[in-house]
Amino acid sequence: MTDLLEGEIGIATESDLVVARKAVRGAADSLGFSVTDVTRIVTAASELTRNIFRYAGTGVMRWHRLERGGSLGLELTFADDGPGIGDIEQAMQAGFSSSGGLGLGLPGAKRLMDEMEIASEVGKGTTVTVRKWRRKA
Amino acid sequence: MASRTGPLERRKSTAGEVAPVDWEGRKAFVGFTSDDAQLLRDLRPVAEAYAGEVVEEFYRRFLSFPETRAFFADEARLNRVKAMQKQYFLGLTEGEYGEAYLRNRLEIGRVHQRIGLAPRWYMGAYSIYMQLTFPRVLAAFAHDLEKGQRAFLALLKIITLDKELAVTTYIAAGEEIITRQSQEIVEISTPVIQVWNGVVVAPLIGSLDSQRTQQFMERLLERIVETNSPVALVDITGVPTIDTQTAQHLVETITAVRLLGAQVVLTGVRPAIAQTLVHLGIDLSGISTRSSLAAGLRVAFDLLDLRVVAGAAPGARE
Amino acid sequence: MTGSISVIRVGDLLLVTVPPDPDDPTVGELQEGVLRAMEQYDAKGLVLDISTVETLDSFFARTIAETAQMVGLMGGRTVIAGMRASVAITATQLGLTLGGSLTALDVDRALRLLGRGAQGGAR
Repeated sequence: MTDLLEGEIGIATESDLVVARKAVRGAADSLGFSVTDVTRIVTAASELTRNIFRYAGTGVMRWHRLERGGSLGLELTFADDGPGIGDIEQAMQAGFSSSGGLGLGLPGAKRLMDEMEIASEVGKGTTVTVRKWRRKA
Repeated sequence: MASRTGPLERRKSTAGEVAPVDWEGRKAFVGFTSDDAQLLRDLRPVAEAYAGEVVEEFYRRFLSFPETRAFFADEARLNRVKAMQKQYFLGLTEGEYGEAYLRNRLEIGRVHQRIGLAPRWYMGAYSIYMQLTFPRVLAAFAHDLEKGQRAFLALLKIITLDKELAVTTYIAAGEEIITRQSQEIVEISTPVIQVWNGVVVAPLIGSLDSQRTQQFMERLLERIVETNSPVALVDITGVPTIDTQTAQHLVETITAVRLLGAQVVLTGVRPAIAQTLVHLGIDLSGISTRSSLAAGLRVAFDLLDLRVVAGAAPGARE
Repeated sequence: MTGSISVIRVGDLLLVTVPPDPDDPTVGELQEGVLRAMEQYDAKGLVLDISTVETLDSFFARTIAETAQMVGLMGGRTVIAGMRASVAITATQLGLTLGGSLTALDVDRALRLLGRGAQGGAR
């Protein structure tokens, strides 16, 4: 059995989306995020997972618990060795989509999470890292 | 580095948690070196010889003031505390001043904060310690007063560090109270009240920052679903000023409410607020707004197809 | 698992209860099933009950919005019913709009909204 707070899932097909969402929900729930924050995190994960099989075909999602200065958080990483993003700035604009989607994937996930980093090289692949911190109760 | 902590354990450890302490930095600042650690180790036999009487004298002082005496309700507790005090005292000369020492001292601080010992007594106690140990250290090093002086300074440094850690835990506890109270204020200051079957009212008071708006949005939407209310009156009479950011938050809230299948009537739009909204170029044209809560309530009744009819006074039957 | 969508007929309206976490094929099947039933029963409207849905991402939302548009082209009106508060907040932050479909707090209100004709309801 995988640890709820840490793990890795291979992404290759649409059905992996459901598995990824379930894993992220489990991690966010057990970290004590509010219902709305859990929904935000799972939705962002869904967008980013879909990006992988849509643009790169295959990749992985990793997640683990964070701790910084007494705050708890969750970090998700989406990595693929697909075509990469040529212009990250353009990809971050709402409405931009190269796959005929709504173009909400990257900018949407960024709005739902607290932090986002993208590393991408054309022809090599893309790694997107997002983090969410638990609101001080 | 994900550690496996269960949910219960986590909840326990967040209460009174102290932000990470730069322990090495603190030691460097007071000039606590490995020489000092060695000197304190050398003091160990002295400490062991005098620990008993130092602790006794220490408590004599504590028991002679009514405020501090109150902490020792009975003999059993006093004896238990004396034993712990002796442990603490001997801990000063243990010779290891790393992470374990730091954790132990923070925990001691937390315990004293929790039982409600005011800092004046806590800090005063350190002074009593110094008074009790100084002559004994000097006597023990009568043959080498220069070393005796250095040993005493080493003791002074470690006790100063202990005091700092104690203060740190007290401040952390105070900050936690402030955080909790501001959270409570947010909840108290954004009530969502059901005023009629199908109508909730949310009076907003004070300025709206991002975090507060987000919490308000959650509370409002949850209450709308709970009470199955198709109309929510958001009253901004108590909001002193509105800026682009706040207006944006309000629009977002209104959009989210629509997704639920309910609608917002924005009330309490005073002349000054109306002027600001227009000058800022904020488009609220798709949103029903009213200047007063009473006018908003009429809109709500219209939306629900309800009519208020003037009737005979109660009891005034023909 | 697919095959979990059923379209129920209520008078001249259709009612579909969306499962909590449908995969993409199920979402696609929902659209197919709804359009087939629209044609078969010449329905006047559709109520999509999403009260158990915990995650509404952009793909799912777009399919719903498009389905509502298609139902519109076939002469019916769509009401999205029972969206959870957490989902509504997330959808707003994500920038989803549902293409201006009608919404209702629950199925009961949705049915009444469609039953009593054009006016009322949030857009």
